[in-house]
Amino acid sequence: MADQELTDRVQELISENPVLLFMKGTPEAPRCGFSMRTVQVLDTMGVEYGAIDVLPALQPLREVTSEISDWETFPQLYVKGELLGGADIVEEMAASGELATALGVEQPETAEVPESASELPAQSPPLKIEGS
Amino acid sequence: MPADLLELKGMIEAALPGSTAAVIDETGTGDHLRAEVKAPQFEGLTRINQHRLVKAAVRSRFDDGTIHALTIKVIE
Repeated sequence: MADQELTDRVQELISENPVLLFMKGTPEAPRCGFSMRTVQVLDTMGVEYGAIDVLPALQPLREVTSEISDWETFPQLYVKGELLGGADIVEEMAASGELATALGVEQPETAEVPESASELPAQSPPLKIEGS
Repeated sequence: MPADLLELKGMIEAALPGSTAAVIDETGTGDHLRAEVKAPQFEGLTRINQHRLVKAAVRSRFDDGTIHALTIKVIE
């Protein structure tokens, strides 16, 4: 059973911050490879986000997120109050463009289709139907 | 005790009828695993909910400490 006061505080943070990352360490000094990868993805998206270091209260926070989100591992990225996932999901969503959509930003250029490929081919004349 | 990869495959496939799962030991230590799963139940779900289904299937092996990390790859 998670601590009620901590649960309330976590829910408050999730609702107050449109983009919130629970991570091990800080964005400047991540203390876990998965947290670092998630920070790198967020940085390429160019969004502002809140970050909470879970290490000082790892076990109590695990219990809280287990209850409110059915998820016990960190990092956890919340966007508009919803848990999107951890490092693997965030990376997959970044690659597919789903993350940019969820964040309401343009897909960063590195993942964009080159301009030449998006140009429409010259149109061929419409086929003429004979015998009508 | 190292995880039984075939047992985990069986647990996932039993929890998600019609699915196929492959469980791989990524580090050779038996506790950091990767599951590649294709399942009809994933249709229309968000990624996190797809992952929740797989984790729920093997939850007892997390709870007893057999697995510490499971990377989930959903096969479309």
